[in-house]
Amino acid sequence: MSGSMAQPPAPSGVAAAAGAAGGASPLLQLADLQMYFPITSGVLVSRHVGDVRAVDGVSLTIEKGETVGLVGESGCGKSTVGRTILRLYRPTGGHIVFEGQEITTAEGSTLRGVRRRMQMIFQDPYASLNPRMTAAGIVSEPLEIHGVGTGRERRQRVRELLATVGLDPDYGDRYPHEFSGGQRQRIGVARALALHPDLIVADEPISALDVSIQAQIINLLERLQGEFGLTYLFIAHDLSVVRHISDRIAVMYLGRLVETATSRELYERPLHPYSVALLSAVPIPDPAIESRRRRIILIGDVPSPSNPPPGCHFHTRCWLRARLGNPERCVEEQPALREMASGHAVACHFAEEVEGSPEQVLQISGDSPGASVTAAAITPTTATTATTPPAPTPGALPAGPSTPQQPVPRRRERS
Amino acid sequence: MHLLSVNNLLVRFRTHDESVFAVNGVSLDLDEGETLGLVGESGCGKSVTNLAVMQLLPKPAGKIEGGEVVFQGRDLLSLDESEMRELRGKEIAMIFQDPMTSLNPVLTIEEQMVETIRAHRRVSKPEARARTLELLHTVGIPQPEARLRNFPHQFSGGMRQRVMIAMALALEPKLLIADEPTTALDVTIQAQVLDLLQRLTTERGTAVILITHDLGVVAGMTKRVNVMYAGFVVEAASTADLFARPRHPYTVGLLHSMPRLDAQPGEPLIPIEGVPPDLRRAPVGCPFAPRCAWRVEACWTAMPPLDPIEATQVIVTTGPNATHRIACWNPVTPEEAIAARPLRAGFEPAAPPTEAVS
Repeated sequence: MSGSMAQPPAPSGVAAAAGAAGGASPLLQLADLQMYFPITSGVLVSRHVGDVRAVDGVSLTIEKGETVGLVGESGCGKSTVGRTILRLYRPTGGHIVFEGQEITTAEGSTLRGVRRRMQMIFQDPYASLNPRMTAAGIVSEPLEIHGVGTGRERRQRVRELLATVGLDPDYGDRYPHEFSGGQRQRIGVARALALHPDLIVADEPISALDVSIQAQIINLLERLQGEFGLTYLFIAHDLSVVRHISDRIAVMYLGRLVETATSRELYERPLHPYSVALLSAVPIPDPAIESRRRRIILIGDVPSPSNPPPGCHFHTRCWLRARLGNPERCVEEQPALREMASGHAVACHFAEEVEGSPEQVLQISGDSPGASVTAAAITPTTATTATTPPAPTPGALPAGPSTPQQPVPRRRERS
Repeated sequence: MHLLSVNNLLVRFRTHDESVFAVNGVSLDLDEGETLGLVGESGCGKSVTNLAVMQLLPKPAGKIEGGEVVFQGRDLLSLDESEMRELRGKEIAMIFQDPMTSLNPVLTIEEQMVETIRAHRRVSKPEARARTLELLHTVGIPQPEARLRNFPHQFSGGMRQRVMIAMALALEPKLLIADEPTTALDVTIQAQVLDLLQRLTTERGTAVILITHDLGVVAGMTKRVNVMYAGFVVEAASTADLFARPRHPYTVGLLHSMPRLDAQPGEPLIPIEGVPPDLRRAPVGCPFAPRCAWRVEACWTAMPPLDPIEATQVIVTTGPNATHRIACWNPVTPEEAIAARPLRAGFEPAAPPTEAVS
């Protein structure tokens, strides 16, 4: 829960720092991690014509025993980060350091040794369990692969594991299709626990489940963390779920981290325009709150990661940039993650402008009807000139003729 | 007269050796311009109810076995296929969760939209094309002229859903049924699409039935809600009333099992234990009883009727003053709704009757 996530350490410094720190070293450090997937063309001779930059320079530190939430929209690269940590891919660049051990290019037995200590829970409990294996077989497979115990010991351990995740140990003989979605996800959790891992990467573990079952799995994961001292990287698109389970949250957009903060900070004081928009877009199950909330409606879709916009990746959809008169800096210069407060880092040139803006505050508590605030304070300054012309002469518009075309974020206002 | 009245609808799916009891007596009314949310988990019958209204149940397995569906005074269940076809799209339109499977992949957007319009309106092709352009513009498709000749796969998920909305509203239907319209979309795109949907239907006075599992979406988008479980409506109220004073144990359970963005940090989730019932068994008693902490003996044997929570002479089924009704023998008290558990001293959930176990 420290602020160390904020500073992307220089690649050379990582190993040294990790080696020197000894017992206090974080469980996992990512430094400028890159994972590009090549795009090739041609039938006989395949030419490399470009890259999908799924992960484009991610630096993140995960301390032992904490839960870090990685949140973002589909295609932002959050799952690729998780898979790259487990070395299911070979990273294009950057470093992965697990307990002081550089595993970026580890192979063979070294890699196997590390993988024992990192496990994954997948999104789709229907696709991630082999339909031709029994539940006991699935949970026991990691034990067999790593040669843990005798057959009898393994069978005993499988029964324990099934009981731990809330399944009847006698169900071990059943096949995945005989279980419900929630029960299958429990099997997936039992499999992840089999080797006593330190780190569990949970990739959207509840998105495929029914609402009433989701809470069961969340509570199970929380209980197991307490019992076994697990560290989680919890990857999800649902900000309310991530906020509930995480100590710290990293927000990702098009392959890069745009903001990292404690859950509480991110929620109370988001500083990146994207985080603000993401928070405002999450519906809250309370009509009274919904009716007074202002929603920042981002314009357009997420651009393609094979051809991301230059500079700040978010500038094409940014509501703040429009208000500031579309500064060129957003297009020209990639913003680095900079620490704005202890443990709170933001990759935005103009994060200071977000601070204190009416958008930053989620209209959730307080009994003042949001409408009054909305009308007066919220209207962007540039838009004011464009929409309510105090001076009807077009030449008087300060920002020139392009002003009316500026993408001004639309807000949903309900009464 | 209501725009739509569904009375005691029964839908079953029959295969050679078993039946699925999908909808077990659903009644609901809807007025012109109203927005109604149907909330529940997968398999609760919310989609099947609406497919039955549209008479789009998969054949031959899906069958309406009882009840009536009255739309603008006409009994839809007595109409033949050609009359229904005349009505679909023109009077009642539908948007589905996955816009990729509901658009024809081998036709351009222009072809399918012009075809839709010309199937119901006597207009020339150029007129239909002009209308298509106008609609695409309304739903916010950039450069609509260029996009007309595109195929569905050339659109992103959010854009496809916009095209679906444009098609659904092309004939200015009285009722729009939106079945999980944003479930497949990212949250920022969901915000765009919901905003659009709300703006257009409000402008046109289109009545909306919004089917969703997301209570947050319902809270922002609808004025009235029916909560469904295992083919029954278990709670019906105005949206404000339902969220402020939930009375059915299932509704209370749902509200407590979702992490909320505005929850206090560290607030635990209270899951609903167990799993939804197997719909292949004929319902006996309240289907929620096995998972319910409030159950009493009657719950195991008799399904409670959907009755007002307070004794009243007149039951209002539509509008902002709709009567708050629940189907429950042992309603949750307001204090219990906050605590999410029964607070009565010595209360124990009733054990299942021994003779009923087969």
